[in-house]
Amino acid sequence: MTRPGFVLEVDDRTPPLLVHEGLGFRLEEFPLGTRVIYPPEPVATVPDVDQAIREALLNPVDSEPLPELLFAGMKLTIAFDDLSLPLPTMKAPDIRGRIIEQVLEMAAAAGVDDVELIAALALHRRMTADELRHVVGERVFRSFYPQGKLYNFDAEDPANLAHLGTTEKGEDVEISKRAAESDLLVYVNVNLVAMDGGHKSVGVGLASYKSIKHHHNAKTMVHSRSFMDHKHSEMHSSAWRMGRLIGESVKVFQIETTLDNNVFGKPYDFLMKREWEWSVKDQAAMLGMRRGLALAPQKLRHKLFHDLRGAYGLTGINAGAVEPVHERTVRKVHEQQRVKIEGQADVMVMGVPYLGPYNVNSTMNPILAACMGLGYYFNSYLGQPVVREGGVAILYHPLDEGFNTLHHPSYVDFYEEVLAESTDPHVIGPKFEEQFATDPWYIHLYRTSNAYHGVHPFYMWYWIAHALDHLGDVIWVGGDRRAASRMGFRAASTLQDALEMASGAVGTSPSITYLHNPPHLLADVR
Amino acid sequence: MVGSFWKDTVEDVRRAKRGWRWGHRAQVPRSAEPFVPPPSRNVYPNDWSRTPAAMVAREFAQKVGLEPVFRSQVRTRVEGLDTLARLSGPVIFAANHASHLDTPLLLLSLPDEWRRRTAVAAAADYFFDTWWRAVGSSLLFNTLPIDRRGGTMSATPGEVLRDGWSLVIFPEGTRSKDGWVGQFRMGAAYLAVEQGVPVVPVAHRGTFAAMPRGAGWPARGRRQLTVRFGDPLVPAEGESVRQFAPRIRDAVARLLDEEQTDWYAALRRSVSGETPDPSGPDVAQWRRVWASTQSPDVEPGKIRAWRG
Repeated sequence: MTRPGFVLEVDDRTPPLLVHEGLGFRLEEFPLGTRVIYPPEPVATVPDVDQAIREALLNPVDSEPLPELLFAGMKLTIAFDDLSLPLPTMKAPDIRGRIIEQVLEMAAAAGVDDVELIAALALHRRMTADELRHVVGERVFRSFYPQGKLYNFDAEDPANLAHLGTTEKGEDVEISKRAAESDLLVYVNVNLVAMDGGHKSVGVGLASYKSIKHHHNAKTMVHSRSFMDHKHSEMHSSAWRMGRLIGESVKVFQIETTLDNNVFGKPYDFLMKREWEWSVKDQAAMLGMRRGLALAPQKLRHKLFHDLRGAYGLTGINAGAVEPVHERTVRKVHEQQRVKIEGQADVMVMGVPYLGPYNVNSTMNPILAACMGLGYYFNSYLGQPVVREGGVAILYHPLDEGFNTLHHPSYVDFYEEVLAESTDPHVIGPKFEEQFATDPWYIHLYRTSNAYHGVHPFYMWYWIAHALDHLGDVIWVGGDRRAASRMGFRAASTLQDALEMASGAVGTSPSITYLHNPPHLLADVR
Repeated sequence: MVGSFWKDTVEDVRRAKRGWRWGHRAQVPRSAEPFVPPPSRNVYPNDWSRTPAAMVAREFAQKVGLEPVFRSQVRTRVEGLDTLARLSGPVIFAANHASHLDTPLLLLSLPDEWRRRTAVAAAADYFFDTWWRAVGSSLLFNTLPIDRRGGTMSATPGEVLRDGWSLVIFPEGTRSKDGWVGQFRMGAAYLAVEQGVPVVPVAHRGTFAAMPRGAGWPARGRRQLTVRFGDPLVPAEGESVRQFAPRIRDAVARLLDEEQTDWYAALRRSVSGETPDPSGPDVAQWRRVWASTQSPDVEPGKIRAWRG
């Protein structure tokens, strides 16, 4: 029986609580009365994954069964989410590969020859061959990659982009030409959080900068409340308008999958347990890991964490028309992640872990750490933010991992030049975005190397625009002072110091809420 | 660098020791209590603990380990052992329950030949939920798992009695929260009626004062404990469990009264129905606890120097 998520109130019986901070974690003794939000335990998974996939493809929602959409001589494109999902990367076999195999078996049975597979990475970095192989599986990789039929989407290849028109609000819709010209576009999603999927799949994953810039900007982001609630998110509204336009010219067969929250397999499973239920073995594992990490050099710690693979189970799969499929997906995601909370707090505490969507097999630089905490965790709410307007966010992360110049070259310049001038998303957008987005060197690196698009660091900063707009102060516990200061934040050595610093904004006895994730949770704040 | 590593290590261990109450039962934060999973129904078997080899090991553990430590921490006075001289066993010892000290007190008060053939009924959900608790308590105290949640007892205690083992049962089912005697459950009476064995009532005092719930070790100062064995009760012909059970509690109450007065006075009060209620006076909780925290004075009137 899965236990639901709940709100713990720290009392004298509460042991120290686990807080993630980059390539490590600490045990924090929170002030009495602190509310701690625990996500639900992993919900039930489907008993037979392959059977569930087959069922979904043969009995789709508001659509003909997939075999009926396939015919000889057709142009079939299969797009799939890139390695930014799920987090951490799933143990092989990846669910996308298992789905794609079944889609291809049906396509082969129908005699379809013209098949291409596209990693829908929008402006993310290109995946390496190994990463692609992990996602689609060995058989699919061997059949398509050498022929160039399995490839990364290129948002900067004008010859392979198609402009489908503009929405009623004047937003350009420009997506992959191959996808746009296909008789059927099958999109395979991993819906780790409620934000993923829906019209955002094709409308963003296969779109160019020209299209994406309409919703990835400070103004839209501030009015997305929240990203996890697509009916109240400006960004999603824009993606929905674009998706409906795409739907007029492209037949999209959407496949969405939901996972449980088994993010840490053994022997790290204690990281997901409720601390007062830690066995002697769990306590020993915690102490051993803490001391081991303290001795290990940074590279080893990085390897240790980034080699972790999620032991996810499939909780549901839906296929068919985009919108009804997505509604079902969101319900399933909520079942796994939603926790009801009464009222907002003065202070919100978040532990930023080693991994976010944009540093898989890479480093969590200060901008990504800020985006993970203030972009993802802060925005993971329904209704209203966990912290009140003018409240304080206290985050844990050392902010000392530096920049990966292969993956995040434009981040370095953004950090050194743009943030040095202003940290206000509304200021830096109009002034610098165009320059970074069109820089030929960044475009070259995006297209030929494994670099994120030049504009990507701006998007990270727009992600946190709502938090910056809402919060009175942001304090990083254990954070590098210079990095925090460059981003316009402050650093503290301990939680006590941070609360002392926050007392100017929230007084000396503020209400505190700590989001105990990962695993991911969605705060339903009433 | 090395210095700070060790300092942090010590700090981590200290924090874990404090936070997870090493040496004590883990606690659940109050707000998390509704979400505690049901306790494991898994009971580790302990038939091995009544084999000759285990008996030898237990003799060693009790005589070399348990007894010296126990005697170094508390003082005891045992009364009524002559009762046992008139019995040949097996019997059920039914005692009030206020502390983890009750079991060693009872066992170590028994004559060796009785002690070696006496098992202690222990809550399966508490003492048999992990292998190391099961092994430890079986080896040291000869515990026997019983299910205190359901109404039915497992078959094992009956088998153990039939094999000639005596059994210690605390009919209250749990340790008292304030040192006074709670309701008695039917288990001891049921076993006595079913198996036709006598029940020896046992009353002890002072264990709550020495080591109440939540304490991991007896309080300083070698507190006084007293234990008194009463005359055996045998279910009468045709006497039901429901009729027999109150007799056990009355007998324990009389023994407690005897602690305060003497055998004949307690007997007379019992006959006239004036035995003080062992569940204690109906006064404020703190007064009940306060009264229980007083160790029994076995030599009233003797003037002693102040003890630390």
